[in-house]
Amino acid sequence: MASVTLRRLSKVFDGGRQALHELDLDVRDGELLVLLGPSGSGKTTVLRCIAGLEEPSAGDVVIGERVVTHDSPAARDVAMVFQTPALYPHLSVRENIAFPLELRGVAEAQVAERVVEAAARLGLEQVLDRLPAQLSEGERQRAALGRAIVRGPQAFLFDEPLSRLDAKLRVELRGELLALHRALGATMIYVTHDQTEAMTMGQRIAVLHEGRLRQIGTPEEVYQRPADVHVARFVGTPGMNVLQGRGRGTGDEDRVIQAGSLVIPVELSTYEGELQVGIRPEIVGLCAVDKGVGNADVLVVEPLGSETLVHLNAGGQPLVARLPGFAEVRVGTRVGVKVDRRRLYLFDAAGAPLG
Amino acid sequence: MSLRGWAAGAAGAAAVAAALALVVVATAQRHYEGAFAFRMAGTTAAYIAAVTPPPPPPPPPPAPRAPRGRRRTRPPPPPPAPPPPPPLSLPAARSYDLPSLLTQARALRTLPGWSSDVEVYFGTAPLVDATAPPLSPEDLSRLDAGGHWLAGAALVPLRDRDGQEVVGAVAVRPRPAPHGPLPGGLGFAFPVALLAVAAAAVTAFRERSLRGGSYVGAALLLALATYFDVWTAARQSTDRWLIDTRRLLQEAATRLPPPRTRVAITELAGLVRDGEIVAGEPAESAPRRVRVDGERRAVVAVLIGSQRWIELRSVPAEIEAPGWLLLLLPCAFLGPIAIIGLRWAERTPAWRRHETAMAWGFLAPAAIHLAIFTIGPAIYAIYLASLANFPALVRDPLTWNAFANTAAYALYVPVSVTLALAGALAVHRFRTHWRGRVLSALFLLPYVGSVVAIALLWQAMYRAGSLGMGRPDWLSNPGTALPALMLVSIWAHVGGQMLVFLSGLQAIPQAYFDAARVDGGSAWRRFWRVTMPLLRPVTWFVLVTGVIGALQMFTLVFVLTAGGPFPPHSTDVVVHRIYRTAFGPQAFGMASALAVMLAALLLIFRWPQLTLSRRQAGHA
Repeated sequence: MASVTLRRLSKVFDGGRQALHELDLDVRDGELLVLLGPSGSGKTTVLRCIAGLEEPSAGDVVIGERVVTHDSPAARDVAMVFQTPALYPHLSVRENIAFPLELRGVAEAQVAERVVEAAARLGLEQVLDRLPAQLSEGERQRAALGRAIVRGPQAFLFDEPLSRLDAKLRVELRGELLALHRALGATMIYVTHDQTEAMTMGQRIAVLHEGRLRQIGTPEEVYQRPADVHVARFVGTPGMNVLQGRGRGTGDEDRVIQAGSLVIPVELSTYEGELQVGIRPEIVGLCAVDKGVGNADVLVVEPLGSETLVHLNAGGQPLVARLPGFAEVRVGTRVGVKVDRRRLYLFDAAGAPLG
Repeated sequence: MSLRGWAAGAAGAAAVAAALALVVVATAQRHYEGAFAFRMAGTTAAYIAAVTPPPPPPPPPPAPRAPRGRRRTRPPPPPPAPPPPPPLSLPAARSYDLPSLLTQARALRTLPGWSSDVEVYFGTAPLVDATAPPLSPEDLSRLDAGGHWLAGAALVPLRDRDGQEVVGAVAVRPRPAPHGPLPGGLGFAFPVALLAVAAAAVTAFRERSLRGGSYVGAALLLALATYFDVWTAARQSTDRWLIDTRRLLQEAATRLPPPRTRVAITELAGLVRDGEIVAGEPAESAPRRVRVDGERRAVVAVLIGSQRWIELRSVPAEIEAPGWLLLLLPCAFLGPIAIIGLRWAERTPAWRRHETAMAWGFLAPAAIHLAIFTIGPAIYAIYLASLANFPALVRDPLTWNAFANTAAYALYVPVSVTLALAGALAVHRFRTHWRGRVLSALFLLPYVGSVVAIALLWQAMYRAGSLGMGRPDWLSNPGTALPALMLVSIWAHVGGQMLVFLSGLQAIPQAYFDAARVDGGSAWRRFWRVTMPLLRPVTWFVLVTGVIGALQMFTLVFVLTAGGPFPPHSTDVVVHRIYRTAFGPQAFGMASALAVMLAALLLIFRWPQLTLSRRQAGHA
């Protein structure tokens, strides 16, 4: 096992699109780090640069003590699990798992032993002699995992391995992956765009946006203290509401932020001018018209059972409220909006946090 | 649709189908009877022209008056208004002696065993049956363009001795002949048609299903019976002509002027322009079917003097009879198809009926084209091939030479496939780069060119010194001609094959290649363990279609070598041999047999291709 370090890593694709901007990242030995970001944020490119499938335009990749920036994928001794299982259709599960060992010329007896060991860890003993086409989705992705762990690599790279599975299977395999991580104590880098996966799996989460690392920290840090408006918007389900607004007023009493149809009194003493207000959906409440900080129109109501999401139009700006249980809200009506003022996030116009 | 309505519709459809089939049979019978009559009339006209001497030279100055005067002296009353024979302007030597003509014409009536009534006109006047109405001048003038049908008789022109002007006509009215082996001369078609309609009615009213197969069986029987009747009519028309012409030839042997003991066969042959006469051997008098140089002929032996036999040969009309199947089969199966259609329509909602009708409408042009230009000729070729041709083919060393050349030629396929795969891998590797595009353009350029243009280009190159290597022109050297063709083929086909490989490579998800690269191993090893197995269906496809194409190669040989260089026929491949056989000596039967052999070989190669395309379920 080894640490993985990226130093000022940049990647410009042939078409001229810059996917990564001077990215610095340090993954500790034995850590499970989640790379989180929306599609197009460059997270898969980071992973492929680490694996050696893409050559960075600038910067270095260090695995353990070794700079591997220009080494072939095979020489880096990392294992990668892809979005699709990518099991070779003409090989049985056993042959698929044995494949990396075989390519590396490991002795046959040892191969057989390690394949059985890996299969036992993943509960694949019964299906070893089947072809990939004869497996269920979950078994296929487990076999792909088996192909990764059988080598005992320096680091594991996961490229959204669960995104194609159905919800139930995803939860199940998430647990298995965590157990595997504990058992192997391996360095793992896990790419996902799924909040829940990131929050539940990552020891640390690195949030990427437009090829830049925006924040790295524990799930709690990332959720509670988003480094900028992009992180705030992206982390959490649903993500934080971010309203464009203005701070105004001079006296202690009349300082307010006006955002859309909302006028929120704040305790902010120094700011005046354009800013952005971050409001988590769970601190938004509904009340009678004119009783809250402003009024809004109900656009869509999504009852989810344990909670209800209400999409509102607050003076031209979208606002989502997350209410417990089934909320009695009618689409098309006008409602009053309450917010918990102590839990607002304020960002300047460029997106950096204020206060 | 009510049950009874449906059943009545089905039975009606069957009746219409049966009636149509009978109409086709009757039409075919009339066609063959007419064909016989015209043929017979032509032969008779030639016979009369040959046996009738010219009018005796001078004595009376106005030569044309002679016939007229003589006729008047005859004892029977003169014809009501016999118009004077028109060919007055003819020089006497080219016309016929009227008394002789009269005698010859009358003699035909009494010819024993003749199956037709014959009338000979001189000018517009009937000679045999003098009280019959004369021809109209228009009928006579129309004859200049050829024979036509007049009041139940085939009327053909009787020309002057030089074959120039029409001086009269010969009409042959065939006596009705029984059309079949059943009592009363009935063919099979009529009773079987009744049977088919009955079977359809029973099926429709009682079972409402075609599963029993009785009606389909009856329809099949109807097709067979009608075809048999048509075939019989065709055969009869040839037989009648042979028998009647035999009588005519025997007559001619004694009557041909000037009187002599031995008539030359060539002279007799001049009488039958649409048949052959050769020296023959004693045989029974019935017409027979024999094979002459691999072609079928109807023959009859003719005794033309003491111990002198000749053989009269004709192309049997029944070899053309299968053409009638194109009409008979649809008629026979119209019934079952209509019943299936009615049943289907009954069970299917209107919108689906509408959609299906539309679909068939769109399919129809292609389906008709396919039926007429592919399936029809294929069936006809199989018919033409006939088993008797195969032994001759197998004995012919040129056949085996052609197959050996084709097999050797097909060996270019593995080479071009390997090159194509290498090219595809290179293009795939650099697919986002300009190098990849240039490479694929280079590969594809020959592929989009016309084969003939490519062939001519290479011909010029070979003529200019075979790429600067070896002896001057590889194409004219027996040892190098075939390899030279293979070289052209590799060049021409590698682009298309590369294109298929390339799309095969692009269909493989990138994750397979990525996974293999991360898993390790050399590029060579990854290629054999990952890329090749994933490409296997594509490789098979390219290989099999390539070999099939190679086995059917024609254009290059046709343009570049015409099968030569010649003493050893070094580049004579199978399709070219078929072409040569068909359009050289016109041996279509042999050519068809060879084509059937090739088709059987191709079928063997198509089999894996078909199973392969069924197995290509896609990647897991």
